[in-house]
Formats: sequence, structure tokens, C-alpha cells
Amino acid sequence: MLEVIKSGLETSIQDYPGRMGFLNLGFPWSGAMDSWSLRLANILVGNEAGAAGLECQYIGPTLKAQRDTVIAVTGADMQAKIDGVDIPMWESVALSAGQTLEMAYAKTGTRGYIAITGGINSPEFLGSRSTFHKAGVGGMGGHAIQKDQVVPVAAGHGTPGRKVKASARPQLAADKHWTVEVVRGPNDDWIDEPGHERFLSTEWKLSAKSDRSGFRLEGPDWTFTDKAHNKLPEHGSDPANIIDQGYPVGAINLAGQTPIILVSDGPSMGGFINPYTVPQCAFWKLGQAKPSELLSFEVISVEDAQRKARDINELCSEQSVA
Amino acid sequence: MIYAKPKCSPGGDRFMLMEFGDELTLELNFFSQSLARAALDQKIKGVIETSPCFSSLSIHYEPDEIRYDDLRKELLRLANSLGNSGDVEVESRLLYFPAVYLDPWTAAAMAEYREKINPEKKPDPEFVAQLNGLDDVAQFVRVHSGSEYWCAALGFWPGTPFLMPLDPRCQLTAPKYNPPRTFTPRGTIGMGGGSTAIYPVDGPGGYQIFARTPVPIWDAQQRLPEFESQLWLLQPTDRIKFVPCSVEEFGEIERKVEEGSYVMNITDYQKVSLQRHKAWVEQLDISTRF
Repeated sequence: MLEVIKSGLETSIQDYPGRMGFLNLGFPWSGAMDSWSLRLANILVGNEAGAAGLECQYIGPTLKAQRDTVIAVTGADMQAKIDGVDIPMWESVALSAGQTLEMAYAKTGTRGYIAITGGINSPEFLGSRSTFHKAGVGGMGGHAIQKDQVVPVAAGHGTPGRKVKASARPQLAADKHWTVEVVRGPNDDWIDEPGHERFLSTEWKLSAKSDRSGFRLEGPDWTFTDKAHNKLPEHGSDPANIIDQGYPVGAINLAGQTPIILVSDGPSMGGFINPYTVPQCAFWKLGQAKPSELLSFEVISVEDAQRKARDINELCSEQSVA
Repeated sequence: MIYAKPKCSPGGDRFMLMEFGDELTLELNFFSQSLARAALDQKIKGVIETSPCFSSLSIHYEPDEIRYDDLRKELLRLANSLGNSGDVEVESRLLYFPAVYLDPWTAAAMAEYREKINPEKKPDPEFVAQLNGLDDVAQFVRVHSGSEYWCAALGFWPGTPFLMPLDPRCQLTAPKYNPPRTFTPRGTIGMGGGSTAIYPVDGPGGYQIFARTPVPIWDAQQRLPEFESQLWLLQPTDRIKFVPCSVEEFGEIERKVEEGSYVMNITDYQKVSLQRHKAWVEQLDISTRF
């Protein structure tokens, strides 16, 4: 019951944790890239943390309410207004029937999130409402929202004026430079020591050729161990070629010499090595990084990555509401 | 080779990769698939989903339910208990895919790559033929279309098959593109490493490309009865046979697919036996190609 007046650049219905359980058919998880922000927006408006909301990329949409409801805007600052008046982010706000929520370009961050009381109830596909537009599934008709569509919303009860404590929000990088956690592996033994040192000491530029399926990184060439050079031809002869394997979500996939972080809509399998993997606790940073911004990588252990994800999960709860 | 003990490595905070060997054999694939099934059937705590491929298995787990070290121990124990797959027989559909080899569409995609990305790139069929010591592209077509292909896994993109020839005399290898292509037409047949795949939709890709089939393996519009209950056609254990056809036949089949009248050529009464395949492969003279 939100009428789409302007669609924004690419505004899609996403939930959390997305379409899990079908990697063996080739379906990525999809879901919100910065699920920390989506989950907090949902909690503000009285929804389950994982309910479907809108992910707005670069430029947000303009939406008109067809009935009285409550919304919350989080993530990137897209200068949200209701009927021309600025509204606060990280706070639940009443949106009355006939009023218009207008979002502009992202002043800070890249992806803004809109949650609405009741949650979006477009049809589920394989257990999730998340849009995977490359395959045309999920969301509404499988694609980003379009002008003149009406986004369906379930009934619910929301309260305006609820705020997320400042300490519970993701802190966006102010200086266009992000430190992103990585875990070594699964194919880290294909890269030689100078190659690892180079990866970890480089400020990688996020390429403009990046989207929800892959984030391309621009930087120096990689160097390899013997294993990458002396191997059976079934791998493929290029040093980064390996017999096709399942990819972890978040893998830093070395396509020849181009590292591509496989994000929410990324391929589930293929024949390039993955020397590092970005764990879930750092996905929100990827979701908020802009092309041409710089990424540095910091190695953490599997256990630390799991602990950091747990810390974020704990923040995505009622205890973060003031 | 087959590793004495599976190699386990973490993939971030929620994945573990197990590698069982570094070759493309039916035995390793049967093992990867059986272990993937067993991990789910025996309800190993915390295992959410499994993604087996030719000779490896990727496991997605919930770290709140199981620690990485415990998962590794559980999976190694399970792998041990399966032992070698022994005398395994599975039901296997055979699907015939008409395909235009050395077709104009993949030639156009290669030309675009040469123009925009790498002018040095040799045409893929010539490159693969030469790399594998074949006489010419005609022999390449004969060899590539000379075997049934085993669907070892689905992945990459919804419904995309990872295929290996069941006849080792048709085994070819090739490097993957560096950097990858930005465009590959839907239905393209390509290969990289020792693997062959069909591209379900237009998209980027890294395999060497040389043929195209008009038969869909993914159809969000559900034009044919095979897509009524699911949007993808294939499953692991399927076999595919590429049947060379002309550009005219391609057009005619494509028209029938569009109007929903194309009848897929699928047989479904046979089984594949690991032992019988192994025995047959062992007595072949693989030093000569077709």
C-alpha cells in the first residue's frame, strides 16, 4: 500500500537473512547488504527484525502512503522528507494516508533502508521476499520497484517516536576509507607470502563496475605459490584457476588478476580461487561503501569473526531502542 | 589424485570447504554428493546447506550452533564412515541438447571481447583445439560432442550445470578467461579447466565458448511443461548429450520454445553404476581421440 511515485536508482525489496538453503541450486542468499540497518529499522516500526523492507541504492524513491502507517529510515543518509519536511533517521515516524515520503541522493553511505509497520508482503519465492533481479525472482515481479507499482504491506502495529541509541548504530566511514575484516581461506595456500603482504598493505579502490553480485577491487597484481603453477590441467592453466568449487558468500574471488568480493547476489560456485573471505560482520561496510572509496583489509580469526557477528546480532534487538 | 584425508579450510565465519582430491572423476563426485546428502540427512547440528561440486564440498553452518573445529571433526568422521562409495548405482536421466558448434553468436561475443578488453585473445575453439593437441576445430567439435556429460553439480547462477565428460577420450582442458567476459549469450556452451557448462541466461562468464543450444535450462516465463513446478531443468546425476545441429534448426527449435510447443528429448529409465563406469574406463585406450 505504498504507491511508487519515483522508483529511485535501484530500490529493491530485501529481507534478512534472505533466501538461505539453495546454494546447491545456484541461488544466492540475496537479502539486505547492510542487514544491521534493515534490522534496526524493522525493530523501530514494531516488525520482526528480518521482515522485508526497501533497500535504496545511491538515490532513494518517492512513495505515497495509501493508509496511515509508521515508517523508519536507516542506513545511508538520503535526506528523507515527508511532504517536504525533513524527518529524523533512526527513528520511527508516522506516515499518514496521502502523505509522501521522499528520498534524495545518499549524502553519506550508499544504501538507505525503509521499514514499514507490518512489513512488505510481496509473494515469497523459496522462502524469502528478497529480490534477485538477475534471475527475475523475489520482490515484485522479480525486479527493482517501478513507478506506479503499489508495494503491498501487511497489517501491524507501530509507534512513532522510537529511536535507536547512537551507540547501537553502524558508524559510517567519514573519510571514504573503510577497514574491512577478512578471514584467511579457503584457498589462501595458493598465494605466496609477498602476495598476502601486498593484499593486506594495499588500499584497494572499489571499482565502479560493482553491484550486488560482485565488488571489483583495483590494486596491484597477485603472486602465487608453486601449487598455483604446478597443477593438473583440469584446474585450468592460469594460476588463479582451480577445479570448480562452492564459493563462500563474501569470498574474495580472484578472477585472473581481478579480485571480486562475492556479495549478496554473487555466484555460488566457480573455478577461481578464494584466498580470503569477508565475514558477515563486515557486510554492512560493503553495503555502505561507494565506488572509488578505499578498502583496507584486516585479518581476523574465524572465532573473532563469529563473535563480531554475534555482537551485531545482539544490537539488532529491542535493547537498542531508547 | 584422491587425498588420503579431506582438506578442510574456513570460508569466513559461516563456511567450511572440504576438498577430497584434485581430479575430475565420477568417484570423487559421487563421494562429494553422498557426503553432502549425509550431512543433511544425519542432521549434523548447525549444518544449514551444502554445496557439493566435482571433488569438493562447501558447507554453510550456523556458528551459534556448532564451532568450526567441531564441525570439521563431525564431517571428517562422517566422511570416514562413508568410506569409498563402493558399488553405487544411481538413476540418471539422459537429456539430448541440440547445439550449433562454432556458431555465430558466441563468435560475436568473442569479437566483442577482443574489441573491448583483449585484442590478443585467440578465437576460443582454435585455442582449445591447439591446447589439447587436436588437428583442427572440426576434430574439437567431434571430441567435445563425442561423450555424454555428467551433471556433477548445480551452481554459479540458478540451475547452471557443472558437467564432465563420462568418456575420458573426450576430456579437454582450457584456462579460464583473464579477465572474465562481460557478455555471454543465453544457451552458450563453454568450458574452463576440465569442466563444461551451459549459460542459462545472458551474463558475464569466464569459460572458453564455442557452441550454443536453443533448449532452455532456466525459464522464469515457464513456457514449457518442464518448468511448471520449478524454474530450472537440470539436477545432479543427469546426463547431457550435445547433438550438433544447424543454425536453421536452432531457429526452428527456438521458435517452438517461444510458443511453448517444443518437446524436450529426455529419456528416464537408465542407471549409472560407478563400478561399471570405472571398469569400462580402465580398459579404454585413452591415448587416441575420436
